[in-house]
Amino acid sequence: MGSITNIVDIDSELATQTPQEILQYALENHDNIAISFSGAEDVVLIDMAHKLGKDLQVFSLDTGRLHAETYRFIEQVRKHYNIDIDVVYPEASRVEKLVKEKGLFSFYDGDHKECCGIRKIAPLRKQLLTVDAWITGQRRDQSPGTRAAVPVMQDDKAFARPDDKLTKFNPLANWTSKQVWDYIRENNVPYNELHDKGFISIGCEPCTRPTGPGQHEREGRWWWEEATLKECGLHAVNIQK
Amino acid sequence: MKLTMVKKVFADGSPCKKCGEIETKMRDAGQLEQLDQIVIAYEADPQSEGMQLAAQHNVDRAPFFIVERDGQDAEIYTVYFKFVKEVLNAKTSEDEEIQEIMNDVDLDFL
Repeated sequence: MGSITNIVDIDSELATQTPQEILQYALENHDNIAISFSGAEDVVLIDMAHKLGKDLQVFSLDTGRLHAETYRFIEQVRKHYNIDIDVVYPEASRVEKLVKEKGLFSFYDGDHKECCGIRKIAPLRKQLLTVDAWITGQRRDQSPGTRAAVPVMQDDKAFARPDDKLTKFNPLANWTSKQVWDYIRENNVPYNELHDKGFISIGCEPCTRPTGPGQHEREGRWWWEEATLKECGLHAVNIQK
Repeated sequence: MKLTMVKKVFADGSPCKKCGEIETKMRDAGQLEQLDQIVIAYEADPQSEGMQLAAQHNVDRAPFFIVERDGQDAEIYTVYFKFVKEVLNAKTSEDEEIQEIMNDVDLDFL
């Protein structure tokens, strides 16, 4: 399953299947695979995987800046499904250095990437070095501009171990927010209480806000930064084989 | 071994910022000389060599690197630090690597 061709072929096949079928494929074909749980509506992945009766590896990134509601929710999920959730943390020395040099809210002055790099990407990277595949709750409708082409399965080159492969599954890629919420309600899945307070996308407390009617969920994240296009994408519409 | 870098030019004729940054970094590090060719993907011209290579190798971002070895399938690198580490045997710092990932990854799902 290592070659790009195979991954593209399998992705094409899986793209027509349900999230549960995609999850089943992922869990059956990878022994060392983990679900990335953000403490938001990606809880449906845990519910679906739990119902498949598979042993689950789940991890959450604790950036140190999450809402109290999110911490409570992660704990609720751990108990509800009786699973271990591997909570991973940023390296204290790097956080200390950032805060000492730039304060606790440096992201409001510059962009959020330095802080996210230390609090999210570095620990995520460390975590992903320990697995062969991972599962995320990414959906295409979360960002029509930059995430319109999210496949259900991809070769994750950014986080792969040196000279090795890492496969990333996005079983919810083709689902809409409505489908996710229909699933949550129909299956009595626990959800983060922040959703009842107007939050759609949930991240760190200082960088997340509720959104109003008609606003896209991305407007609730890093709203002080100018929206920019993901300029390095090669727009598929222009690529003709 | 043949090494190709594919960089992008937007439909309006402006250069891709990240492609320019990486090209400059490679030039400063003396890595550019190790490439056999630099090919441009003109977004406005789907028939341009770079766009055709992107389609052929199913790549949706720029820049990217193609590594061709005799008798083997071409290897594609869309991550600069991976390319220079694994193919050019260069050293990169963790901060540089994280910065590159940051520029490529949407973070709101984490």
